Amino acid sequence: MSIASDVIRGHTDAVILAQLMLGDSYGYQINRAIELRTGGEYELKEATLYTAFRRLEQMGCITSYWGDESTGARRRYYSITPMGQQVYYAMLAEWDASKRLLETLIRPGQTS
Amino acid sequence: MEYNIRAYVDELFQNAPRTQKAYELKVELTQNLLDKYHALIAEGKSPEDAYNLTVVSIGDVRELFEGLEDTPTRTEPVYIPVGSPERRSAIITSVAVMLYILSVVPVIVLGSIPIPGLDILGVVLMFVMIALATGLLIYHNATRPKKKAPSGTVVEDFRQWQTKSTSNKQLLKAIRSAYWPLVTAFYFLLSFGTGKWHITWIVFLIAPAVDSIIKSVLILNDKEAK
Repeated sequence: MSIASDVIRGHTDAVILAQLMLGDSYGYQINRAIELRTGGEYELKEATLYTAFRRLEQMGCITSYWGDESTGARRRYYSITPMGQQVYYAMLAEWDASKRLLETLIRPGQTS
Repeated sequence: MEYNIRAYVDELFQNAPRTQKAYELKVELTQNLLDKYHALIAEGKSPEDAYNLTVVSIGDVRELFEGLEDTPTRTEPVYIPVGSPERRSAIITSVAVMLYILSVVPVIVLGSIPIPGLDILGVVLMFVMIALATGLLIYHNATRPKKKAPSGTVVEDFRQWQTKSTSNKQLLKAIRSAYWPLVTAFYFLLSFGTGKWHITWIVFLIAPAVDSIIKSVLILNDKEAK
């Protein structure tokens, strides 16, 4: 579990971008989706989540806007930019490469 | 419990920088925590459990507060750039003083040409130049920043205040107390000596100009010493 957490933490940006590829969303909704998708095994800390939001926003991968809920709850929504989509695909390619390399390294007996 | 969550976030942000970004982050975080809390309640958790789970989920906020300062207002500039208020102030004062001094030139030059009407023009030019110089000084005083940017530490502030108030102010006071009697004495000496009373009054035009020059030189020296 802790090893999995560490690995996922190294890919927080990709995880968030992946959620935003599905559509605009806000902090809690994104974290909830991650939690549900992992069957409750993994969720991001709020601090990690917002630090990642800010980093991605500074990089120009996402933009944010305040929603206009009538119930009084003001939520900040995030939206992926075209550049963010490119970064996401680059991260996917990188991940595939890492996965392949790691496979051959941790299972040296098998030939892929 | 909702109140407790808000209070908890308030406490977290006590040490956060007071910026728009920090405020927005606080609003955002609070709303998302409340969402989470209500979801946990809806799952059937007790209010206490829901509160604890919500608060624990925040994690380490230290990295979150880094970079919330929107402008580097706290760091003092190491050098004084060319367009700084101090330098601008010195330039405006110098130009005004120059205009004061040069204002007599048209009177002297045009007055020495024996064509009727030109001497009047010289006087008019002189008054125009004086008006310009005065206007510049007034404009400069009106637009000068009232308060100096807050400097780093109390000790620094005190040291600045000390040097200013002791050496500089006392020197200025000493010079100025002697200045006007000297000017008057000089005026009478010159007038009686030359007998040209019609022109020696110019001393009283030049005197304030020299006064201003001394002041700006002192200010510049002070800036360089710092």
